Amino acid sequence: MRLAMVCALLSSCAATRFVPLPPEAESHRAKTDDGWEISVTRYRPTGPPTGLPVILCHGISANARNLDLDERHSLARWLAAHGREAWTMSVRGAGDSDGIDAEKGRPPPITFDSFWRFDLPAVIRHVRAATGAPAVDYVGHSMGGLVAYAYLSQGGSELNAVATLGSPTRLDWGTGLETWLRSVAPKVVSPDVMIPSALGAHAAAPFQTMVDDGPFQRFFYNPQSSTTASWQRLMAYGTADVAGGVALQLIAMLDGGRFQSLDGRLDFKRDMAGITTPVLVVAARLDRVALAPGVKDGFRALGGPKEWLLITRANGAKGEYGHMDLVIAERAADEVWAPVLAFLNRHAPR
Amino acid sequence: MTALVAALLLASSPEPVVSHRRVVTEDGASLALYRYLPPGGGGARAPVLLVGEIGFGRPLFDLHREGLARWLAGRGYAVYVAELRGQGRADPGASLRAWIHLDLPAIARVIASERGEPVDLVAHGWGGTLALAAAGRELPVRRVVALATPVEAEVPSALAEAFLAEGGHFSDFAASPGGAWDFELLFAMETRFPPRTLAALRALGTRDLSRGQSTEWLAWMRTGDLPLDDGTTVRRRLREFDRPTLLFLALGDGFAGPELCAPLRGESKADVRLRTFSRFETGDDFSHVSLLLGAQAPSRVFTELEAFLRNDPIGGEGRAR
Repeated sequence: MRLAMVCALLSSCAATRFVPLPPEAESHRAKTDDGWEISVTRYRPTGPPTGLPVILCHGISANARNLDLDERHSLARWLAAHGREAWTMSVRGAGDSDGIDAEKGRPPPITFDSFWRFDLPAVIRHVRAATGAPAVDYVGHSMGGLVAYAYLSQGGSELNAVATLGSPTRLDWGTGLETWLRSVAPKVVSPDVMIPSALGAHAAAPFQTMVDDGPFQRFFYNPQSSTTASWQRLMAYGTADVAGGVALQLIAMLDGGRFQSLDGRLDFKRDMAGITTPVLVVAARLDRVALAPGVKDGFRALGGPKEWLLITRANGAKGEYGHMDLVIAERAADEVWAPVLAFLNRHAPR
Repeated sequence: MTALVAALLLASSPEPVVSHRRVVTEDGASLALYRYLPPGGGGARAPVLLVGEIGFGRPLFDLHREGLARWLAGRGYAVYVAELRGQGRADPGASLRAWIHLDLPAIARVIASERGEPVDLVAHGWGGTLALAAAGRELPVRRVVALATPVEAEVPSALAEAFLAEGGHFSDFAASPGGAWDFELLFAMETRFPPRTLAALRALGTRDLSRGQSTEWLAWMRTGDLPLDDGTTVRRRLREFDRPTLLFLALGDGFAGPELCAPLRGESKADVRLRTFSRFETGDDFSHVSLLLGAQAPSRVFTELEAFLRNDPIGGEGRAR
């Protein structure tokens, strides 16, 4: 019995090994207007270019490796193989991007507002300068989609077409988790600190194969669609600490479904009605992080043109999807990314 | 001796008294109304009317002597289960609009004559949405518990669309090997049921839709609204809906997804509290019919439902509008 457990743990550790970026991936730094450097990685198309470059942005407590986990689970490489130059980015405080360092002029807090106001515009500028493209397309997973919503709602005009994957604009659905977050988070989270969520993920990663139906499977992904090995790798090197300011700003979405700036002066959701950039909104039926009604709430708020895509077996998917399955599922290329690319292609500039 | 003990136990258990009557509408259609009276008669509380999904009959609320009807009656409520045209033992129906204009008023008259009015309404699915549209108009209602009742009418999935486009034949689910699987995807995805419940519901609790009903239902989904005979529409009525409501959302609902139901909060005038469970928290995402017949329905749904009817605090926090 002990031997079996040791073997399982060793094989788990092997599965969580770090998979480096492919040789063709180019590391870049984009400089923001407030002086931070944002890590971006370029994946040139493997054949003739078929459209605009695409910026890919991860969700909360994550980094750019969510969009390029390994050779088989990589939206970035898949887009490149389909003729689209892909650029992954890590928001400030995540991945290889600059983190808080007051002595170097990067004081806390990091907030969600930093991402749409500084980081995304810097990355767009950098990609356009590097490629000469007149505009770029964008795919955002989870909070990455919210970054695009906020950017576009406040007049951002350099995105040609956007797809959001599991990006909820309200979080108040009467779940027990809400009650807990509402009561606990404001008491224990400081806007100026980084919550060490990545450390917890790294520590828990090797043990994932020992649990068939544990809290991670239940909350983040669906074993019908993603393998435990992929999930382990995601935990091992696809996670990032969460900035307290970001956590508190997003937790405010629990209060009456507001989606707004930290100071409350900008109402992103209201202003989303003025967005005219085409947006594809993708939701997963069994997403327990970004519940389908929350994702649909964002779809409703958008001005348009817009399209809605619900991933579920009742719509032809081979398995149900949870939150992370949208980027790491075994069949994500066919069931999620292909419709995303088709949407971006339909809205290519003429 | 064993038989005597069993008989004594049976006699002493608080089994409700169940009766059935035929209700005839103004246009002569025959409906079924089942009454569950608690041993004490249940006179202290408003009667509770249960209206289920189109195509589903009483077994949605009482299957093999288990379900919400008996559960509420066991706690002192006078419970009525209505089978409107096209459901259970009621006459077939050519139109869903008749539910609002003819069927629910007829049911309301009978309950008012027996128990007074208004009722507390438990409304389920798209059929429940029709009842919400009648609430405060054809149907005097005090409080509402809504279970997966779509407000934003939209085709919920390609599979649901195909089902209705092919006539809404529930019997087809039993006719092919993949039928049971399709039934589960639409109505009972990934949730736990007591043994044999789902098969029994499919066999005993459903009924093929009429061509008129399936066509009208699909048009409602495709166009986003259902025009009514008095010049209003379901959507317009729901904007005026103002009864205090507890709305349960089922994450695994393939026929009335939570994204279609949640807009009742905000779109209507009602104070709507939301309640959602997920597999992460409770081990079950719930689905269209598991809200009523799932293994966790009594402990999770029924208890909070009853607390709401009593106007007690409930667990959900999704009240803010």
